[in-house]
Amino acid sequence: MSTLELRPDISPVPQVVKSKRMPPVIRGILWSAIGFLVINTLISYVLDPRYGHPFITQVSITFGWFAAMVGWVLGVGAWEGAVLPAFGHHGTLYTAPGWKRFFEYSTEHKVIGLQYIGSSAGGFFIAGLAAMLMRLELMNNSMWLFNYPQQYLTTVGIHGTIMMFSVGTVALVGGLGNYLVPLMIGSNTSAFPRMSGISVLLVPFGIVTVALSPLLGYWSTGWRGYEPLASQDPSGILFYYLGVFALTLSSLLVSINLTATVIFKRAPGMTWGRLPMFAWGITTVSLLNIIWLPEIQLTFVMSLVNRLVPLPLFTATGSPLTYMELFWLFGHPEVYIVVVPALALWQEIIPVMTRKPLFARQWGVIGLIFVMMLSGFVWAHHMFTNMRNVEMMPFSFFTEMISIPTGFAYLVALGTLWRGRLKFNTVSLLVLMSMFNFLIGGMTGVFLADPIINLQAHDTFFVVGHFHYTIIGGMVFSWLAAMYYWLPKMSGRMYNERLGKIGAIWIFLAFNLTFSQFFLLGLHGMNRWVSVYPSYLQPMNFETSIFAFLLGLGFLFHLVHIWWAWRAGQKAEGNPWESKSVEWITASPPAEESFPVIPRIVSSTYTYDNDEPAVIIPSDGKRVATTS
Amino acid sequence: MSDVVLFGILWVILTILGEIGVSLWGHNMYYYMASTQAIEGNHAAIFLMIFLTPIFMFVVLMLFFVPFRFRAKDGDRKVKAATFKTNRTFISIWVTVSVCVNVLFFIHPTASAAEMMFQEANPANQQNTLIVDVVARQWQWYFSYPQYGVTNTVNANGFNDLYLPVGRKVEFVLRSYDPNHTYDPNLDVVHDLWIPAFGIKEDVIPGETRFMYVTPNVITSFEKNPMVRVQCAEVCGPGHPYMWAPVHVVSSSNFATWIAQQKKQNG
Ligand code: HEM
Ligand SMILES: [Cu+2]
Ligand SMILES: [Cu+2]
Repeated sequence: MSTLELRPDISPVPQVVKSKRMPPVIRGILWSAIGFLVINTLISYVLDPRYGHPFITQVSITFGWFAAMVGWVLGVGAWEGAVLPAFGHHGTLYTAPGWKRFFEYSTEHKVIGLQYIGSSAGGFFIAGLAAMLMRLELMNNSMWLFNYPQQYLTTVGIHGTIMMFSVGTVALVGGLGNYLVPLMIGSNTSAFPRMSGISVLLVPFGIVTVALSPLLGYWSTGWRGYEPLASQDPSGILFYYLGVFALTLSSLLVSINLTATVIFKRAPGMTWGRLPMFAWGITTVSLLNIIWLPEIQLTFVMSLVNRLVPLPLFTATGSPLTYMELFWLFGHPEVYIVVVPALALWQEIIPVMTRKPLFARQWGVIGLIFVMMLSGFVWAHHMFTNMRNVEMMPFSFFTEMISIPTGFAYLVALGTLWRGRLKFNTVSLLVLMSMFNFLIGGMTGVFLADPIINLQAHDTFFVVGHFHYTIIGGMVFSWLAAMYYWLPKMSGRMYNERLGKIGAIWIFLAFNLTFSQFFLLGLHGMNRWVSVYPSYLQPMNFETSIFAFLLGLGFLFHLVHIWWAWRAGQKAEGNPWESKSVEWITASPPAEESFPVIPRIVSSTYTYDNDEPAVIIPSDGKRVATTS
Repeated sequence: MSDVVLFGILWVILTILGEIGVSLWGHNMYYYMASTQAIEGNHAAIFLMIFLTPIFMFVVLMLFFVPFRFRAKDGDRKVKAATFKTNRTFISIWVTVSVCVNVLFFIHPTASAAEMMFQEANPANQQNTLIVDVVARQWQWYFSYPQYGVTNTVNANGFNDLYLPVGRKVEFVLRSYDPNHTYDPNLDVVHDLWIPAFGIKEDVIPGETRFMYVTPNVITSFEKNPMVRVQCAEVCGPGHPYMWAPVHVVSSSNFATWIAQQKKQNG
């Protein structure tokens, strides 16, 4: 008989049982529906019945939605994975084989990272479809696709909200951060794996909530939810508040988890001075999230309560400006939440591709930290059109000054590129393109920081061009670069170099031809949030839309290419870029336990001036404590 | 030729070309200008462009230079990358230049142009200012001229109409409420008065009275250029795109005639 039988069962690992059971996603939807029906009915018929006994009231749907969220999270598996264990039960955690793992509750940071990336990509294409509808409508200067401006405005709102809260804030942090940070610092887990498994489930739930908002009525505020318009809007805006709540909660949990991971889970020798730039980026951005996400959540709760009660907090007899201040207090840090990890990605990838040590590393770190700190001082540059004159100068000053630490990312990147041996592939091409696009985004920002120019350009397509240059041009291009760079790690397979380059050039051209014209449209008198505009602007809008469709197709091309490479691409070598970073010493793709033996970091991982390894695996083969 | 020299030469050439571009295109940036404020804004923008051009060209050239000049040929392992990790001179120049340029921008054009704006708003400088009361409601602009006793000016079709005399400073007094339903002060939302040809805009906020100063400097009208219009620039509900009104900048005698005619209509 085997010795296994003699061992007393002390293992806390839940038993893995394969049995006939409902697919987790289906059970999640079912539990979610049950939760909604029970609470909604309780409120609309028992606790807070309204005249005429409507089944759905604004109050009932708000609480019903929370019940649905809890039902969804528990149904997908948090019940067995997090709740039962908290009460001492082992529960029965099913682990499905293959791709099904990605459709159930998981505590493994790599699965969670990919779940985040998949959800973000889903949000990107849903919101991208909305953008295509907007551009279609704008091909003509009168209403022709939509019947009513409110439909167009709802589309703008869905586009902006899903893009910001499920893509911009999530793809690089929840996605790449969860996948890479533990690997990069030599840890097998993140700090709070059960919480992390829950947090990712909130993303699809939030996206679906926002996307379904038209069911409750069209809303017109766009992603900023300005008051007092929001409190007059049809009830669709409820799903904006609630969806954003789920999405921001998810990002908040990610940030708590990853900050703790970086602080407590570093392998021996992974000192702060050797911490990879991407881990630095995630740490600074997590601090931003931890400071500002609760702020916007409370603001939205206030707005929601203001609407449900109702209260006059933000009306003429209250203070509309207060809402704007509260929104942008978060809103400006948000744009750095989007872009800081992208800047860090450049600094992570370029040394590997140029075979050269990272240039002026400490300036890169200083840049990230100062961007993080200054970003809390600039919010009111979104309010030059409605602030008092005396307030303009300090905000203008800090806004101009923040370009200094942002520029340090260029200092580091360019210094590393200079006289390197650049491997000119899809990855480095996308990084260089991202640097080009973000340069234009940043420089147009200098114009916007100047009040007298801002008063012309604000609320026009000039601003829309500016922020798409930073977000698509800076963040989405870097995201794509990272997907190609770590594709061999995540899937064990390689993309096709020629297709990758064609795709990169395609989106680069389409992107620049689309959004450079946004600047001109704005300067020529095209204001935002309009489905109808003066006819002299039509020719340029028409061709801008054509390039926008080409851009949309270009992104689809990359999606299909990555999908194909993931499943059928050539088998990649274990470390195709010959990187010295910790994540590359694991198998590709890494096993469930990434490091059977915890590695030891002996030098900076960017030392490409010598051939010594930066990471060694202790030869005694024992597991080592995971703090330094 | 050393990389630095080649780079330097290319950079100078590109910068010169860029500056020529700025001097050719810069004054077209605003497309059409009909006020001193627009011209002021355009000057500020041109100043920024002149200083940003060398920086822009530096980075862009680098992004092209690197893949052409420092590219690893496949399989070629003889040539090694440089090994430096820092360069005191380069970093010092970079940090100094970026601090100086930003401080310069803050002093001029930011603070200097703002100072001019503040002077225009100074109560001591309103001797001959034309006051136009603006009321924004969902979704309409009302214009009144309290100095002339004219309220809610409209054209022959009953469409709200804004006339301004050329060369005279205007003070727009901005309020947001619904004049047709004054029993509910909380009816209206944030709007934004924007006249693209004037290069300036200001939010109109419920419960507050705000001011915008502008001096039209050419005789022009919406019929001549569609940028000479009032356009709501802050989303205010489904009627937002329709919330506009034509603007006419006329000679002072034509303005007097128009006022007299409006008075008759009002009367
Ligand atoms: C795929 C190509 C895209 C196109 C063609 C596009 C186009 C547009 C257009 C036409 C608007 C409306 C402008 C207005 O009237 O205010 C808009 C708004 C916006 N877009 Fe995009 N967009 C794209 C991708 C993105 C991405 C990737 C993000 C962020 C991750 C993003 C974030 C936003 C935001 C935040 C708004 C503002 C919405 C609001 O005013 O509430 N967009 N976009
Ligand atoms: Cu309006
Ligand atoms: Cu409006």
